[in-house]
This record gives sequence, C-alpha cells and structure tokens, in this order.
Amino acid sequence: MTAPRTLTLHNRLSELERLAQEVTAFGQAQRLPEPVSQALNLALDEIVTNIISYGYDDQADHQISLRLSLQAGEVTVEVEDDARPFNPLEAPPPDLTAPLEERSEGGLGIHLARTVMDGLEYRRQNGKNYLVMRKRVSG
Amino acid sequence: MDIAEQKKGSVVVVALKGRLDAATSGKLEEALLGLIERGERKLALSFHQVDYISSAGLRVLLVAAKRLKPLNGKIALYSLKPQVREVFEIAGFTTIFPISAAEDDALRSFQKS
Repeated sequence: MTAPRTLTLHNRLSELERLAQEVTAFGQAQRLPEPVSQALNLALDEIVTNIISYGYDDQADHQISLRLSLQAGEVTVEVEDDARPFNPLEAPPPDLTAPLEERSEGGLGIHLARTVMDGLEYRRQNGKNYLVMRKRVSG
Repeated sequence: MDIAEQKKGSVVVVALKGRLDAATSGKLEEALLGLIERGERKLALSFHQVDYISSAGLRVLLVAAKRLKPLNGKIALYSLKPQVREVFEIAGFTTIFPISAAEDDALRSFQKS
C-alpha cells in the first residue's frame, strides 16, 4: 500500500477544479484505469458539491477533508465534513423513466455517486459526517 | 466553460468547451435561458469538447428543456464522449434528450418534429 493522498477543501464551488486535479493526479500516480479515475472524479464532485451547496446554515468558512487510498485492488475515499447531518444512503432514488416535464431536478448527484461507486458507508459522529466510498480497480 | 453560439437556419448551434460542473453550469444556464428569452426554440448543443459533466450540468439541460417544451421548442445534443454519454445513461437522460453522433444528424432531428 502506498501513502494515502489527503486533501482539504473549503466550502466554495471554485474548489471543484482543484478537487478534480487532485483526484486525477491520484489516479495517474496509482496508474488507475481511466474509468475508475472518472468514477472517483464524478462521485467526489457530487458529494462535495452537495456538502458545499446544501450543507451549511451559515456563511462561514468550513473545511472538507478528503483521503484517498489504494489497497488490495480497491480505492477507498473518505470524506469528513462538519455540515448538517446528511446520509446519502437514505436519499430517495430519482425517477429515471418519467417524461421530461415530470423529471425532478434534484437527487441526481447522489444517484450518480451511488451508481458509479461499489459501496458507500455513512456515519455521524462528534457532530461530523463521515462518508466512506469504495471502488474496485479490477475484477 | 466556453460557450459559442452560431445560427444555422432556424437552429442555434451551441458549442460547449470545458468541464460542466456546479462551478461552471451557471454560465450555461444563463446562455440557454437567454437564447430562449430571445425567441430561439431549436437548440443543438455540441459536446465535442466537453470531457466531463456532473448532475449540475444535467440539471441545467433539464431546466432549459422544460422551459422549451410548452413553447414547442427542443434541445438536441451531439458528439458526446463515451464517459459523458455514460453519465446521461445513468441519469436516465438518454430517453428525454435526442442524442446524435454528429451535427448533421442533430440538425435533421429538428426537421422531423
């Protein structure tokens, strides 16, 4: 196992570009297949966007901590934030078959993250959200 | 996100370039709603130079398409990269947006309806 890559983001949407650069750099350093790297990018983008856009009641600066690691053919991504409690596993799935005018504009991001990753675990502890996402590299 | 608009007959071809995420989708929303506001009803969006789209980008397309529907307008998409098309498929958007391989096909799709 190589050293995990850690990253701290501020609760601003302008941080999404840096997030993408860091996740891509992790994928290249670990020689991850392109589809795996793309899945990590999308899932982290959606989760972090959700935290930044809907997680905070104040206008203050908050930090979102990320940790990416590769072990035994599986990438583990950990996200820690002090936003309001939010369990993405409990979010209702969007209706993907409704006609255009009945499609919901919400809930798509969490659906994308859950679909492209192989597993999600959530816990609320000490006033913080802890989300662990896993993605198998092969097999 | 760079956005270039070009009128071709009754269709406006909108060429997109860059990442389409929560930080950049506002610019696209402004552009598309601006076109609709100015009376444009047929929008063909080129994804040839879009390497990445998140749900924020999908949401903007949905908002614009919903606004066009009662006006008998339509949005057609073309030249999607495989990884971008996959996001459309996971979100169930391939059934609500006409998606073509190339610009010619996208322009023709307006004639049929």
